[in-house]
Amino acid sequence: MKKMKIRPLTVLIYIMLSLIVVVYLAPLLWMLSVSFKTNAEVFASPFGLPEVFQWDNYYVAWTAGKLGIATLNSVLVCGITLIASMLIGSMAAFAIGRMRWKLANPTLTYFMIGMMIPVHCVLIPLFVRFSKLGMTNNLLALILPYVTFSLPMTIYIMVGFFKGMPGELFEAACIDGCSIYRCFFNIALPLAKTGLFVTGLMTFVNNWNELLLAMVFISEVSKKTLPVTLTYFVGPYSTNYVQMFAAIVIAVAPTILVYCCFSNQIVEGLTAGAVKG
Amino acid sequence: MDKIFRDKKAIAIFIAPGILLFTLILLVPICQAVYYSLCDWNALTKPNFIGLGNYIKLFTNDDTMLTALKNSLFFMVFSAVTQQILGLLLAALLTNIKKGRNFFKNVYYLPNVLSSAALGLLWSFLFNPRMGINQVLALFNVEGPLWLMDTKGFIILPMWVIAFVAMWQYTGSTMMLYMAQITGISNSLYEASYIDGASKWQSFLHITLPLIKPMVATTLSLNCIGSLKFFDLVYNMTQGGPNHRSDVLATHLYNEGFQYFKYGYASAIGIVLLILCLIVTFLVNRFVKVEDYEM
Repeated sequence: MKKMKIRPLTVLIYIMLSLIVVVYLAPLLWMLSVSFKTNAEVFASPFGLPEVFQWDNYYVAWTAGKLGIATLNSVLVCGITLIASMLIGSMAAFAIGRMRWKLANPTLTYFMIGMMIPVHCVLIPLFVRFSKLGMTNNLLALILPYVTFSLPMTIYIMVGFFKGMPGELFEAACIDGCSIYRCFFNIALPLAKTGLFVTGLMTFVNNWNELLLAMVFISEVSKKTLPVTLTYFVGPYSTNYVQMFAAIVIAVAPTILVYCCFSNQIVEGLTAGAVKG
Repeated sequence: MDKIFRDKKAIAIFIAPGILLFTLILLVPICQAVYYSLCDWNALTKPNFIGLGNYIKLFTNDDTMLTALKNSLFFMVFSAVTQQILGLLLAALLTNIKKGRNFFKNVYYLPNVLSSAALGLLWSFLFNPRMGINQVLALFNVEGPLWLMDTKGFIILPMWVIAFVAMWQYTGSTMMLYMAQITGISNSLYEASYIDGASKWQSFLHITLPLIKPMVATTLSLNCIGSLKFFDLVYNMTQGGPNHRSDVLATHLYNEGFQYFKYGYASAIGIVLLILCLIVTFLVNRFVKVEDYEM
């Protein structure tokens, strides 16, 4: 029954979809091509291919724009956030989804409130607190809120995973004398690997791209993350278009790479996190 | 066995770090923000309780706030409408084709994982009068407008441009969620409808649409809240300019709080934003009725 397609309609659909693909990819390809040009070329032929590939642009952007240290900071912040939020999140999720206590559901609700709260309204109090503690040149000032704001989604997805596991497994382990902590670390966590991976990817992508907190909480230039450093490029380097484009490419390359490898898992994370409970 | 899973100490150990972080980084600061928003306070003075003064000033004596509010609401409506329509349309088209579905899907979702800060810079160059889109228009002898500088009209042109870019970036995620919902619908329903002589369009209208309703509430509140919170693109494309005409709530908050260091005033903007988000979530869940169907 399903092969009752009308051919012209299918062709039309494909044409439409391809046109939209152009809208999506053209700006990105344009960015890539400009990043290899010279400044003169940008204005002479903005849409042509570069005559000679100027690899130098990347070198200059990397060194003059201090992108190296910024990338390192971003990697540090995202890496630590990733590990911390996955550990803390899945611990809480295990207690909520697997263990038996009265307040399990209210606790879940408490965490879910975090999904609705815009980060903007805690910006000022946190900034004041962090500057009093002298943390504004410390990456911890970013890691703490990032972990906190990653928790609701992590917990939500992981609770689903833990609840879906067969109870017999844990019963058997307990009868064999397994403690609750070993149940969690040696049985539940390894079994929830897919869930961890999916939430980890989402956490990474979200925090890698975060701009507002990173801009406000970190004052020291050598501690700024990649999106912030990129934003500063507009000012002092505003005439040096090609290097700016090279910098933009450097900033988006890691997430494009991650996306190319794991697009299915990222999509899975998106849908798992959004479906309401 | 049951005892092990009721172990109070273990539960406390598992849950404590999360609760602690959540309370210290989220709950306590929100309470503080509510208090600060009732204070006259900048970086040099001590918080001085003035009641609702900040809020009164926000809504009666602050043109930028009104512009920001207008822009944010415009943004929300525009994003919600376009992303719902386009996202659903793309999802419907993609679930109807076999070959290349993954390719199209992945391309449309791609901008979602990229940094808005970087994309904002990229698009601001594309809309720069000296390079990008106006150069293409010039080939057809059309003089393009000053995309990011124009200030005419109730909703100024830069806002439309930024809203377009936001649509470009985020429609993919609405599409993905709809696709997940549509592919979850059992094929036998469609087969039954075709046997009964329904056309593709009819089965879309009477099977797909009712069955994806729960997702409408989810995506709609995601669209709305996401666009209310919007910061990165605006900051990197216009910085709120020209003359604060393209400010949104988040950039206004940033300027008041971290350019002029009016902590109390900026907190009030944050609380307004929070209340807007809560109202929107409430309205969406209240009026987009979710009926559960057997799938």
